[in-house]
Amino acid sequence: MAKSNLTRKINLYGWLFVIPAALFIFILNFYPMISAFLLSLQSGRGNNLKFAGLKNYARLFEDEMFLTSVGNVVTYLVIQVPIMLLFALVLATMLNDPKLKGRGIFRTMIFLPCATSLVSSAMIFKSLFSIDGIMNTALVGIGMLSEPISWLTHPVWAKFVIILTITWRWTGYNTVFYLAGLQNINRNVYEAARIDGASASRQFFSITIPLLKPVILLTTIMSTNGTLQLFDEVRTLTNGGPGIATLSISQYIYNLSFMYNPQFGYAAAVSYAILVMVAVLSFVQIKVGGKR
Amino acid sequence: MKKMLYVLLVLVLGSTMLFAGGAEEKKAEVVDPNAPITLTVWCWDPMFNIYAMEEAAKIYKDIKPNVTINVVETPWNDLQQKLITSLSANATENLPDIILMQDNAIQKNVMTYPEAYVPLNGKIDLSQFAQFKVDVGTIDGNHYGVPFDNGATGTFLRRDIVEKAGLKVSDFNDITWERFIELGKIVKQKTGVSMISTVANEPDFPMLMLQSAGTWMFNEDGSAYIKDNPVLKEALRITKEMVESGVCLLVPDWNAYIATLNNGTVASTINGCWISGSIQAEESQKGLWAVANTPRFANISSSVNYSSQGGSGWMVMANSKYPDVAIDFLAKTFGGSVALYETILPTSGAIATWLPAAESPVYATPIEFFGGQKIYEDLVGFAGKVPNVKYGVFNYEARDAIARALSEVMQGTDIDAALGTAQKNVEFLMSE
Repeated sequence: MAKSNLTRKINLYGWLFVIPAALFIFILNFYPMISAFLLSLQSGRGNNLKFAGLKNYARLFEDEMFLTSVGNVVTYLVIQVPIMLLFALVLATMLNDPKLKGRGIFRTMIFLPCATSLVSSAMIFKSLFSIDGIMNTALVGIGMLSEPISWLTHPVWAKFVIILTITWRWTGYNTVFYLAGLQNINRNVYEAARIDGASASRQFFSITIPLLKPVILLTTIMSTNGTLQLFDEVRTLTNGGPGIATLSISQYIYNLSFMYNPQFGYAAAVSYAILVMVAVLSFVQIKVGGKR
Repeated sequence: MKKMLYVLLVLVLGSTMLFAGGAEEKKAEVVDPNAPITLTVWCWDPMFNIYAMEEAAKIYKDIKPNVTINVVETPWNDLQQKLITSLSANATENLPDIILMQDNAIQKNVMTYPEAYVPLNGKIDLSQFAQFKVDVGTIDGNHYGVPFDNGATGTFLRRDIVEKAGLKVSDFNDITWERFIELGKIVKQKTGVSMISTVANEPDFPMLMLQSAGTWMFNEDGSAYIKDNPVLKEALRITKEMVESGVCLLVPDWNAYIATLNNGTVASTINGCWISGSIQAEESQKGLWAVANTPRFANISSSVNYSSQGGSGWMVMANSKYPDVAIDFLAKTFGGSVALYETILPTSGAIATWLPAAESPVYATPIEFFGGQKIYEDLVGFAGKVPNVKYGVFNYEARDAIARALSEVMQGTDIDAALGTAQKNVEFLMSE
């Protein structure tokens, strides 16, 4: 009797401590999500909204600009995320080497890009890749180019610069996750493998990657999520141009809400489309990579 | 049990803090004509409209010493975003009393939120302003905007470069775009300098070409007129030819564009006359510039040598506590003070659309920077001949679609196909 009373008391305190946080999460996260969903069921301009059911969602499939922006973002995703994660993994393995001198400095340097703001890093890349920027000067100087490329006004090169910028900015961030994961792997495993005659690459593929699987899964989901919501870099570097060749979905939402005659209902539907894509992709990734 | 009570107490206190505010009672306004009043104004250019607004504030201070003008520098894109956010959230207490609005955005904003702006009908004498500017701010018969700066376009030329190529400034007056390209090729060949530059992602040339022919991207009934619009087709064709022939240099953004003017990379620019402020910022080029009118189409009969690009107007917000004071302020400064325009013209190049100001002798002063040409007199003359067009509610949608069509045409897409896509996309955005 006394014991169950104590348990109940502990539970009660537990709930009391949880309530404020839960309340904040509800007000700041769930309430906006619910009202955004309700908004996505309405159509009209400005504040003249009326209920339209799922019409906005049907419109998505007829919207050539939305579909182009999805195509752009998927291109970034498919090219950038694997390259970045591989880079991060290799860097983390190198940094984890106990014999490496000056590890602290290297770790700081690799993480440093994450401390810069998205807009300022994009501004720096914009000036690096401008017509008279350092990239063109260098490439023309060593004879790789006969004349400067207008990187940011060319549909393909502009995508290349965007991918480069995101990779520079986020590789260090993912490296930190892998480093933390690597430090949880017992050194004895590697030692045993070495005694058995496993090469460094064999160790990487047979020990590091399988044991890091949960972390790799986490970073893949986070990067996918981040890339689908890409905004700052594209807006700063190219503003979606040339034409809409680099437009991201988030920037299209911005355009629908603030550049054009505001269609908040439709813009909310587009943002829910991102949510669905993130959910589906994460589900697939968990199914494919999550088996223990 | 005592601990429980404490926890509850903390929770209750916490939640009251969370939901505090909003319960303050509104005090009744005390009507005192001499009580201090502050009017907040949003505009964006320190060299230009902010400066003009501050000068206007000084003038009004002499008339009504109790009124203070508080100018908040707000870049146009931010202004538009803040406006839409506040109006759609019904949080108008954050908005200022007066805003400056781009001409091509007035229709969109007023039609989406008609209650947000005060109609000025009869309170300001708009007959004293250039008619095309008044029309821009007139929606359903209500006048919303006090026209401010003039967007009349001109060809701003580097006198020295043109003469080095064996040409005269007068060769650029009353010409067609074809002739402009020919002259540009001569300049490029003889001096190695590109004739003109433009921002790669912006459809600035097609837009000013459209207005020079009195055409826009919409029909009378408001429907999109992009596909099979002969003026638009011709505008894209000429813009492409200018770039491909090397006459026009494409630059990635606005700063790079201004740099091409200031560092002598190009021999000219064609833009709204407000560009003269940026040109004159480069003092080492004093005396080297000149102004001619804008090229026209050779094979479109409605086309003239005059157009407009940019331009803006002041609007009074309905959320203002003192709308009458705000209107009176605008009426006695931008709509009634020759002295104001005389002050702001020489330093900022803010060319008035208030006609009485154009009679001021300041406008007839030869400008040393432009080699003694009376450019303001010339530009005011151009302004009077600009064809009138209705920018329409969906101007930004259409403009974006043309920007994209232009970039596709540059990459080799057929003009008709690119305009077909543009028409489709604009129609999609116009539907609900």
